[in-house]
Amino acid sequence: METLEQIKVRLEQALPQTRLDILPNECPAGERSLIVESSRAVDVAKFLRDDSQLRFDYCSNVTGIDWPEAKIKTKVKKKVVVEGVEKEVEETIETLRSGHLEVVYHLYSMELKHGPVVLRLRTGNRAEQTHLPSLTPLWRGAEFQEREIFDLYGVIFDGHPDLRRILMWDEFEGHPMRRDYVAPDDFEYEPTPHDEVLDAAKKHYPVAAQPEVKPEVKA
Amino acid sequence: MQNSYLVLVLLAVAAVGFAAAPLALAWLWAKFFSPQKPGKDKNAIYECGLEGKGDAWIHFRSEYYLYGIIFLVFDVETIFLLPFAVAFTGLSAGAFVAMIVFLLLLVEGLVWAWRKGFLTWK
Amino acid sequence: MIDEGLKSELQKQGVYVTSMQELYNWGRANSVWPLTFGLACCAIEMMAASMARFDLARFGAEVFRPSPRQADLMIVAGTVTKKMAPLVVRLYNQMPEPKYVIAMGACAISGGPFKQGYNVLKGIDRYLPVDVAIPGCPPRPEALLHAIMTLQEKILNQKLTGPDRPRHLNADVEGEYPVPTYGPHDLQPSKNSEVWQPPPIQR
Repeated sequence: METLEQIKVRLEQALPQTRLDILPNECPAGERSLIVESSRAVDVAKFLRDDSQLRFDYCSNVTGIDWPEAKIKTKVKKKVVVEGVEKEVEETIETLRSGHLEVVYHLYSMELKHGPVVLRLRTGNRAEQTHLPSLTPLWRGAEFQEREIFDLYGVIFDGHPDLRRILMWDEFEGHPMRRDYVAPDDFEYEPTPHDEVLDAAKKHYPVAAQPEVKPEVKA
Repeated sequence: MQNSYLVLVLLAVAAVGFAAAPLALAWLWAKFFSPQKPGKDKNAIYECGLEGKGDAWIHFRSEYYLYGIIFLVFDVETIFLLPFAVAFTGLSAGAFVAMIVFLLLLVEGLVWAWRKGFLTWK
Repeated sequence: MIDEGLKSELQKQGVYVTSMQELYNWGRANSVWPLTFGLACCAIEMMAASMARFDLARFGAEVFRPSPRQADLMIVAGTVTKKMAPLVVRLYNQMPEPKYVIAMGACAISGGPFKQGYNVLKGIDRYLPVDVAIPGCPPRPEALLHAIMTLQEKILNQKLTGPDRPRHLNADVEGEYPVPTYGPHDLQPSKNSEVWQPPPIQR
């Protein structure tokens, strides 16, 4: 299979004025992905599916990711001259990352037996610009997974043939896999709470959550 | 034996009694001990726990019946092929030819339906 | 009523006496037909229990009925999600009396590992009267056999008349339990207070 760079170059030749970025990945697997502008996503996907050297005819997995707004701290090493001596100083830079929702497609080729190529589509923000083009018309297998992402993350797929909730019931409000989803406060006592459950236990059962006082054993 | 049909009458009475007695006992039991408790859910149509939607009286497309009739080809074939296969070693050549002709006739029906396009679901 | 002493004395002589109540309970206890109804991984253990190695048939409970109309016992085998809970209650309502419920596994009892999640019911006993609860994740088939035996014991001790008689012999007790409806975040109501109250905490 061609490398991601080669694919990107060929995509840019075939579809000019399309912004493509390669997202680096520093983990051991090192699987990088292609960030695609959402307005051109269908064209890019069609090229990947129909190109004779690529032939990505199988969309194996569609996933959603929620990126809330966050401050990202990056450490940069700088060389500073202090009192005539050159020193290396670490500096932390805080950048504000805007929130968005991300949908990840894993593409494989059954015909040429290669893959995967990972596509990432990003929404404008998390509140109202949550529309993305649906790739279900290209890969039928994406239908239920896109429905699931719509259900749990609230990404609206334009062009999806049947966009309904799939896991939660139709009357459900909100999208439970979003980071800021607040579940109904129906905490119930359990004997061995820990972490977040312990906090909830302290709130709901202030007496019961206190550590048990062991009676002193008399010799 | 005064009447040879008496045995049959006795047998019929015993058979009916055998079937009716448990039902009567159950009815009596329900009358005296366990009361009937009909309810909205209990009397509803069983739809794997979901609420029933729409009517059970719906139209089937006419192709469905054509499929049913074409299925008969295979049905008849199986019925005749089984005894044919069992008695195969003891059959004459004439019987073999007759069976092949019969199978070809059935296959012809299938081919005719195929050519007409009945096997493609529109 | 015949007294116990005389009964055992007669039994020693080879004469068996019984009462209507005993006969009725004996018949019912040895033909508890469960509903074919699996929700999650516990259902695999339930299937194993009904197969040759564990042989649920020894207890007369091998006839899994695919329709609630013919079933006596509902084995709630697995995680009950909030989406599934109304269906479970409706199936229970559609079963004829007398009917029993076995809550099988940690999820059916309390929600198990999903207890504090947003989508899993914190135990089927919020909506249905559970007769036997089997702990385990999932419980082994032997545990299910033990639950069936416990249920048989319970059935054998039921009275035919009097104020202690079970629900199905009492005309004043309603046979159906209210089916919860889907709300914006949770089921409504989130529990049936007549069946279940939060347990008091003692320290």
